[in-house]
Amino acid sequence: MRSRLYDHRRFPLFVLTVATLIIYAFAVGCGGSSDSTYKDINWQLTLVGDEEVVLNFSEILDMTSYSGTSGFFTSVGIVNGPFDIKGVPLLDLCDLVGGVNQSEYVRISAIDNYSMVFSYDQMNGDFITYNTSLHEVENEGIVLVLMYEMDGVPLTQDLGSPLRIALVGDNVLTEGHNWVKWINKLEILSFD
Amino acid sequence: MSMVTNRRILTALIVALLLMPLLNSGCSNTKTPLPVIVAGSFMGPMEDLEARFEELHPDIDVQIEGHGSIQVIRQVTELEKEADVLIVADHSLIPMMMYNTTIAGSDEPYADWYLSFATNSLGLAYTNTSAYAGEINESNWYEILTKPDVAVGIADARIDSCGYRAFMTCQLAESCYDNASIFERLFGDSFTWPITVSVEDGIQTIHVPEILEPKGDKLALRGNSVWLLFLLDSGEIDYAFEYRSVAEQLGYSFLELPPEIDLSSENYSESYGSVRVKMDFQRFGSVQPEFTGEPIIYGVTIPNNAPHPNIAAEFVNFLISAQGQAILAEDDQPPISPARADNPDALPDELKELLQ
Repeated sequence: MRSRLYDHRRFPLFVLTVATLIIYAFAVGCGGSSDSTYKDINWQLTLVGDEEVVLNFSEILDMTSYSGTSGFFTSVGIVNGPFDIKGVPLLDLCDLVGGVNQSEYVRISAIDNYSMVFSYDQMNGDFITYNTSLHEVENEGIVLVLMYEMDGVPLTQDLGSPLRIALVGDNVLTEGHNWVKWINKLEILSFD
Repeated sequence: MSMVTNRRILTALIVALLLMPLLNSGCSNTKTPLPVIVAGSFMGPMEDLEARFEELHPDIDVQIEGHGSIQVIRQVTELEKEADVLIVADHSLIPMMMYNTTIAGSDEPYADWYLSFATNSLGLAYTNTSAYAGEINESNWYEILTKPDVAVGIADARIDSCGYRAFMTCQLAESCYDNASIFERLFGDSFTWPITVSVEDGIQTIHVPEILEPKGDKLALRGNSVWLLFLLDSGEIDYAFEYRSVAEQLGYSFLELPPEIDLSSENYSESYGSVRVKMDFQRFGSVQPEFTGEPIIYGVTIPNNAPHPNIAAEFVNFLISAQGQAILAEDDQPPISPARADNPDALPDELKELLQ
């Protein structure tokens, strides 16, 4: 008796079914992450401090990563996250160009000409944090991270691919205007 | 089970699987979507307008998205999002950001008209447990705010228009009350890197440094004025500079300030214009961070690349109609009646008829 699985009359239907399932999985975004996805990213991040350094995406991936869970809310109170976040601490990036001190601050810029600035205290974690009811809560310090992965997958274009600021704490929320998307420049600036 | 039956089952399965992504993407909704992007301070009236408009047009699904006013326009002009209607809390942003910016791949600007349709005013939100709540009035508010046991909240002027408008109000107060020390007493020693005021040719310019960081507990700073209201609830601050519509929609006590300083009245346009806020921080590459005092006027437009321009015109028509204006008034958002067009010739025909 011939196996049903290999019945040649049914085989085209079986193949079609499997193909359809695969197409569906990709259509709803179940493709998952892979190293090849990261390898396809052609991006440069310019760091300006005591000197200027340009990193490509793979050099950022090679740095020691930092992970945590945090989210943000928009100016009209829509909560996004919390997400599982992975990236590189901004202070580590600053250290590559001489570090940041108390008389300095950091400006982050993006390809859409949006920018945000962070004081020395903010670079060291001093932010107002909120719970999911948007009430202020205590936290033990936020880590400013250059995020490249959210919930285990690379960022999508809409979410700020390939590099976005994230304020990572212990499952807390912060104001969304700090979560700058599409970052291509970090500058250490002085008030002097 | 016969082979024919098996094939029918498999065919049905395949068809169902092929349809699933379409169902997931919302194609089962037969209503026509009408994306409307609005300023955060207009969210309250907008939700009421949406509900009434959808009652009148059950085949339309008004989809509201809220942002700060500059971000409202950027969604269309820089981030290439499709929207049918844009509503901003500062009408001057529409010509500034849309009239000279062309739609990608064409010579057509993103917009060439807007309607001024509502106003607002700036004042102080507080609660009945705020310090000196029983004493504060429009004559002594700046004295109350400078008392050592009173904490005050203000929105970050670099992020929220309510913040830089609060600075304008406090600077205008100096001439209104004939007291040249009000701004200095309120903010002079409140920030790590100070805010300064210079005067040239009769224009008082408030300079805001790139980093705005409060010192001590006397002054609280938040990215959006609405978040200050939580601090009123918890008693961490006693007063917050806020728009009247927002404070009253959310049930807070609101101290109205004199029209000479509350940025509500076109009768004082000239004196409002004697104050300017200039920021070292340029958040958006496309917007110079310099703002001149003027009455708070809300503007609405339909982008020239709107996906549903006819339905959008119907919505704007409703917004400026007697019915729409009644909704605004109920939400403490004073309507401008009739609405005014800056460029009447460019209006869609449906709106021209209503304004005639």
